Amino acid sequence: MVNENLVKDVVKEPYKYGFVTDIETEKIEKGLNEDIIKLISQKKEEPKFLLDFRLKAFKKWQKMKEPDWASLGYKKIDYQDIIYYSAPKQKEKISSLDEVDPKLLETFDKLGIPLTEQKKLTNVAVDAVFDSVSIATTFREELAEHGVIFCSISEAVKNHADLIEKYLGTVVPASDNYFAALNSAVFSDGSFVYIPKGVNCPMDLSSYFRINSGDSGQFERTLIIAEESSSVSYLEGCTAPMFDTNTLHAAVVELIALDDASIKYSTVQNWYAGDEEGIGGIFNFVTKRGKCLGKRSKISWSQVETGSAITWKYPSCLLLGEESVGEFYSVALTNNLQQADTGTKMIHIGPKTKSTIVSKGISAGKSKNSYRGLVKMGTKATGSRNYSQCDSMLIGDQASANTFPYIKSQQPNSDIEHEASTCRISEDQLFYLQSRGIEFEEAVSMMVSGFCRDVFNQLPMEFAAEADKLLALKLEGSVG
Amino acid sequence: MEIIEKIKTNKSNDNLTEIQKICLHKLQSSPLPNPKSELWRLSNKSKLSNFLDYSVNEKDSKFDIPYPKNSQNTIRLIIGENCQIKLIKKNYSIQQLSEDELQKYIKEQISFFTQNENWSDLLNLSLSCKNNILGLKINGSKIPPIEIFSHASSNSLNAKTLVIFLEKNCDVELLQVNLGKENSSLSQSTFFCLKENSSVNHGVVSYGENRSNLLNSLNVIQQKNSAYNLGSLHFKFNYARFEISIKQSAGNAKTNIKGMQITKNDEQISTYTKIEFNGPNGFLDQINKSLADDKSHAIFEGSIIVPKIAQRTDASQLSRNLLLSNLAQIDTKPQLEIIADDVKCKHGATISQLNEEELFYMRTRGITLTEASKLQLSSYFQEIISFIPVSKDRWDLLDKLLHEN
Repeated sequence: MVNENLVKDVVKEPYKYGFVTDIETEKIEKGLNEDIIKLISQKKEEPKFLLDFRLKAFKKWQKMKEPDWASLGYKKIDYQDIIYYSAPKQKEKISSLDEVDPKLLETFDKLGIPLTEQKKLTNVAVDAVFDSVSIATTFREELAEHGVIFCSISEAVKNHADLIEKYLGTVVPASDNYFAALNSAVFSDGSFVYIPKGVNCPMDLSSYFRINSGDSGQFERTLIIAEESSSVSYLEGCTAPMFDTNTLHAAVVELIALDDASIKYSTVQNWYAGDEEGIGGIFNFVTKRGKCLGKRSKISWSQVETGSAITWKYPSCLLLGEESVGEFYSVALTNNLQQADTGTKMIHIGPKTKSTIVSKGISAGKSKNSYRGLVKMGTKATGSRNYSQCDSMLIGDQASANTFPYIKSQQPNSDIEHEASTCRISEDQLFYLQSRGIEFEEAVSMMVSGFCRDVFNQLPMEFAAEADKLLALKLEGSVG
Repeated sequence: MEIIEKIKTNKSNDNLTEIQKICLHKLQSSPLPNPKSELWRLSNKSKLSNFLDYSVNEKDSKFDIPYPKNSQNTIRLIIGENCQIKLIKKNYSIQQLSEDELQKYIKEQISFFTQNENWSDLLNLSLSCKNNILGLKINGSKIPPIEIFSHASSNSLNAKTLVIFLEKNCDVELLQVNLGKENSSLSQSTFFCLKENSSVNHGVVSYGENRSNLLNSLNVIQQKNSAYNLGSLHFKFNYARFEISIKQSAGNAKTNIKGMQITKNDEQISTYTKIEFNGPNGFLDQINKSLADDKSHAIFEGSIIVPKIAQRTDASQLSRNLLLSNLAQIDTKPQLEIIADDVKCKHGATISQLNEEELFYMRTRGITLTEASKLQLSSYFQEIISFIPVSKDRWDLLDKLLHEN
């Protein structure tokens, strides 16, 4: 039983990204109504079709009810008490990174995000989003040489309006769910990626989301389009300062893969999770969905979820194209009073489609960690296959681990397999490692890392190292 | 509201028993289950309303037991037949529960009921008249197998209730047979209380005829060191729901469940199980099989709840499904809700068709496709059928199923 207490101590680790950047910001007044939406649209100089899209979404949102099926306990969100647009004040147009406010660059430096030229050693192009707007996107010229478009969504609206009009809202329609409708009405920025036919994106693309102000929500929107025979790997990271109020983050991510295209989308989510008493933290309500439109297309989601007071997130794949492939690899770590309700939806529509789900949940403290997933075989999904594996690890006797897999099949010529297990850190294994001279803390960390190995193997190298470090950090503590 | 009116018009308010009044009161605010709730989301609304369409019938038509009794050593009881049961032998005793005991137990159970989760029980208890409630207290060992029948009459809605107390150290084999008639609805609720060290092999076989409907609910409370083994089989119902709720009240108990449902034509049969461990060292091994053919729909939802107190629980749940037609549907949702950390819990689910390689192998050996499919099905059925007590030889369930399919 001594070990149990030690494990509990080990999982306590202060949040190191909790600082606030003191920067002048431009905020609009609190509240949500048609005028606010028009104001956001006007500030971003958007074309009419986008304003119509927003207003239509807002109308739908007004008629919708906030979902309560995830049985997440949180106090009611007052949607009129949120600032829907907040941007750091800076010069009108930025031609190079030198013009970006040094405070902002410093912030991203602190977060370990390579924005400045000298730090561009790693071969990753970054789009940095601070509160409501994108402040910088690196490596753009190099990418443009290959025809790859990587910019903020506001820029894309101006420069590639045809693509936005054609694809925006086609994967996640505004009426999809409450938070998607809200996002569609008020989204402020996000990333846009377009990979032309036959291009394998020469470097990993990355966006980094930072919430800085305590009273504004973040509503970003990401749209990635991979044309025929193209491929891209996209990384996403998130942090926020420590506030004792809850901040709302409702994002929408849409991926579209055409024939033979492949998109790999990786997330390391480390929003502020609130303190030990559950005060503060981000409410993370995210809709992520990919559409495998083309034949033999592939969409792979991998995620490491360690932050947020509440996570409500189900990255999904619509497998329409023949022989298309959907993958989902997830690690969710919850501690203290965090609640995570996460999983995936694999909707098999086309024939010979395949999907794999590997989900690992670790719950410590008094947290609640649920896997909720849907696997559906449509009537035309002949010869399709799904394999799901959900493992949970419990640390301490107050955390809870739930598994809710929904499985639906309408196609006899398809196979679905699901398995789930729950365990705790085995005392035998701990004892063995300790008897070999490995310290307790390191042993726990090794075992957690081993438990998550299947997922970490799927992450891009830089992220895998970061994720491993992140989990180790969360498990590092006051022992010895 | 209609259903409440129906019960009330059938009887004047004075003739309602106290239990009926309590249940009606619980149903009053919302007489029908919430179609958006997880438990009723997939349930076919028109089939449910068809279930409630028939007029309530409290008096049974003459019932002939469909199979001859070929073992003198079996005790057969029919719910609704007004007879006194008092068997006191050297090793065992089977007696009817007194009115007080029955009322007290049911009332205690109802106090935990919620409109949505226990709608089937509330409906049953508000419909069940005194004659259709059978309460038994079973004591002793070396008890001959017991068969209890519950049946519906054509063109009517019948409600039958069974309450069984298994006294300490008692060991019994019990088969419950629910029979549907053409165009009929049967609401069957069973309450089992297993006291310390008792053990039961419980079989539930339910089958209907054309357009018969069934709401079958089973509530089991297991005290320490008790063992509850359930083998169940549901087939040939236009609409059937089997709701199982098992509580290991102080842990240290064993539960084994093997269930199967077979759907054809446009039938819908669903199984909902909820197993709660309210003490340490609980054990559960559950397998549920479904087979869906034609345009039918089979549903399984199972939840295992392991609170903090239930340390060292060992629970496993497996849902295996065969989908045999392009128009049939299967939904399955095994769930785990765990708070205790020192537990071994796992679940699994598969949906597939008959194994093609096995079929091919058998055909190369000169067995026809139909025969080969039957052989595969019989091995699929056999695992469940062999677990159903009493019946396995006499009831020819395997033949019946293979013949039907």
